Order: sequence, then structure tokens, then C-alpha cells
Amino acid sequence: MGEVIVITSGKGGVGKTTTTANIGTGLAKLGKSVVLIDTDIGLRNLDVVMGLENRIVYNLVDVIEGTCRINQALIKDKRTPNLYLLPSAQTKDKTAVSPEQMKKLADELRENFDYILMDCPAGIEQGFKNAIAGATRALIVTTPEMSAVRDADRIIGLLEAAEMEKTELIVNRIRPDMVKREEMLSSEDVVDVLRIDLIGVVPDDENIVISTNKGEPLVGSDTMAGKAYLNICKRIMGEEVPWLDLYHKDGIMSKFASIFKKKN
Amino acid sequence: MKNPVRIKGTTSGLIIVIDEGLTFDEAKKEVKEKIITSAAFFGKGSFALAFEGKELTDAEKYELADIVTENSELNIVCITESRPEIEAHMKKALNDKLSAMEANTGTFYKGTLRNGQAIEFESSVVVLGDVNAGAQVVSKGNIIILGALYGNAFAGVGGRMNSFVAALNMNPAQIRIGDIIARSSDSIKKPDKTVEPKIAFCEDGNIYIEDISLDSLNDIKLD
Repeated sequence: MGEVIVITSGKGGVGKTTTTANIGTGLAKLGKSVVLIDTDIGLRNLDVVMGLENRIVYNLVDVIEGTCRINQALIKDKRTPNLYLLPSAQTKDKTAVSPEQMKKLADELRENFDYILMDCPAGIEQGFKNAIAGATRALIVTTPEMSAVRDADRIIGLLEAAEMEKTELIVNRIRPDMVKREEMLSSEDVVDVLRIDLIGVVPDDENIVISTNKGEPLVGSDTMAGKAYLNICKRIMGEEVPWLDLYHKDGIMSKFASIFKKKN
Repeated sequence: MKNPVRIKGTTSGLIIVIDEGLTFDEAKKEVKEKIITSAAFFGKGSFALAFEGKELTDAEKYELADIVTENSELNIVCITESRPEIEAHMKKALNDKLSAMEANTGTFYKGTLRNGQAIEFESSVVVLGDVNAGAQVVSKGNIIILGALYGNAFAGVGGRMNSFVAALNMNPAQIRIGDIIARSSDSIKKPDKTVEPKIAFCEDGNIYIEDISLDSLNDIKLD
């Protein structure tokens, strides 16, 4: 039986879809069978980030309404085996499906896949309720900004009320240089407020912009964000992975400098 | 004699009007009859009681109050003086008494209150967890937070001005005590991590926040 995980944040634009694409791809690269479901009906874009937009024939609403079978709507990823996308409908709205229907769909998919990732829309309304309905585990994505942390806090409260079994935190778009200068909240500051388990810290990385525009998730690549995402995947699978050192990547000279500093 | 005893009900109290021509024994008898016939009408509830008309001693007032409680389901919280501004007076007396009673009992709430969550209590409350920004605790009595207060805490709602708010980490957006409002300063500061437990209380129309010490605890009044 697979695990259904919802990726949510409350606030928009913090990187839910990018995170879903990268974690999904990463889990598949690690040998798991994965389905990504874009639950943002009316504002779909997980297909774009995955580079699968041109392959859409059927969508989530078609499956729910019984216009097609699940297997007809699942799009096979063009690079990674065992990775599928169930795209969202663009011409409908959130009321086209109900939480009960989403739960039923998730339960059906659990039979055949290791992980089902739900990409949740921003907000706390119907779309959010649909996305969390079938999930037993939630990944909260936030950026180190007060407004995003506030919304994450609200979401965690709602997930507690909905009796979500497991809720973990991803702090996205950290800028180590700014954290060092105390101009940005650190991941510790965020955990201090939200008090849930941290499962990943992803640095702000321009490679992300390039990768989402190209429609090629960068998980597993030799970039800081790529490594951070792969570590999250391993932690999701229950592996203990040491935290990336985001703060000392400048090169040999600065490493020497920091050693020298410590000795004094 | 027509209606030697009348009972007037107001939102917060009962006024028993006794004809001045009655003796006390007659008055007792009339009050009893009156209460029995109208008990169903008044139903249940907590009230303040006042008398008008005949002059009564305190002992007589208490005796009549006993007759009222014995013969009805009413709960007489206190007996007040009969005054022209009687309604407002009784209401205040009742509220003060009730809130003092409530404030000295407490409820425990376990769990962190997150953004958008609000809890409200008639009694004092002890929160075992944090009150995050955007969350709200409201109490007619005192609020004690065994955790961090980043959100709003409204103590003494209903007018108990000697209510207080205490927290292990005091960083509230807003604290209200009774009808006095205090808000956090506008200067942006990083959340203080090495924190002292603090207490907020009201004095001369201002809210003060102090470290919890023997002195500050000595100043707390529970009634």
C-alpha cells in the first residue's frame, strides 16, 4: 500500500509545485513508483514544471466524473520511469470535485503506487480540502518570510483539526548569506515558531528558475537545490540523511579562514 | 389591596416591590405565593435581587431571598440596594459577582493555538502550549500561558480590571485587560529567545508588563 502525501503551504508562490515536481521525480529516481496529482483545478501548472503539458488528453476531473479510466489520464514522465502525472483540469473550478471523491481516488491509486503526491493549491478553501482529503502525511512548504510562516501556521492548525497523521516542514528558498547577516529568518527560527519536524531546507538557487522554465526537475543534479531535494526524498523514505552545509560552500580559502577563526 | 407584592424582572435582576402597608409576615406569605405562581415564568438563571417599597432590614431581605430560592429554580447571587439607577446597578453587581466567581475557577487548555484559532472561556485559563501570531485567547478571568504568547490575549473580558495575563515568553501582538488595549511596539525585533516569564496587568488605565517576581505576584488580586 502506497503513501499519500499532500504538499501544501497556505500562501501562494512559495514553491509547492516545484517541490512536488522535484520530490516526485526524486522518489522515482530512487526506484519508487510515484503519481503526482495536480489538485489546483483551474490554475494547473505542475504539468508545465514537469514539461508534460503537450501530453495532456484527460485530466483529474475526467477521472472523477468517470469520463475516462485512471490509467488513461495518467501521463508517463518522459525521463524517469515509474513516474506519472495526473494533470488538473483547466476549464473547471475547485467545486468540480469533492473531498470524498479525492479520497476515493487516492485510495485506488495507493493499491498500485508507492507514493501519491498531491500538489495543493494556495488558500484554505475547497481546493485545499480536496487536496488533503486522501492524504495521511503533509509536507508544509514555507519560505523564510513572516507572511509565509503565518500562513503555514494556519495550515498546520487546519491539518491538526483534520487529524493529519504526520506533518513535516520544508523551508524553501533560504539565502545563507542573508541568514548569516541576520536579515532573513533561519530554518531554526521558522521551526521555533511552527514547532513541527523539519524534513528539508532548500537554498534559493537560480538553477530552480532555469529548471522550472525548461520543465526539467533538477533533483539529484549537482546543484545545491538538487542535492537538498534528493535529501528530502531520502528522508521521506525513512533514511537518516545529514543536513547539507549551506553556509560553507565558498571554496577552499574560506574554509581555511573559518578553521582559522574557530581556533582563535 | 391590589397586588401587595409585585415582582419585576429585568435583564439581570429581580426587583420585588412590597406594599408599605404590609407587615413582614404578610410580606413573606405574599412573596412565597407570588414566587410559586411565577416560578415557571422566570425559569432558571442567576440573578441579583433588590427590594422596593416597604423598608426592610438586612435580615429580612435575606429571609425573603431564601424564600425565593427555595420556591423556584432561581439562583440569587447577591442582594443589592434599591436605587433609581437600579437596573444598571444590579447588572453591574451581578456581573462583578459572577465574574469574580468565574475568574477564580480555571480551565486547562492543552495544545498550541495556531494562526486563526481562537478559544474563549468564562473562567480563567491555563494554556499548555504556545499562542501563535494570529491566534486568540479570550477569558473573563486570567490567562496563563505555559509557552510563548505571540498572538492576542484578552483577559477580564466583561470588565474584571484586576485580571492578568502571564506567559513564559511574552511577545504578544495585543493584550487587552477589560476594555484597555495595549499593542506591541511597531519596531521590528527578532523574537527574543532568552526570555523571562512576564506578567501583564492593568493599573490606572494602563497595561504594564513586568518580569514575574514576588513583588508582581503580591500585587495580584484574585477577587
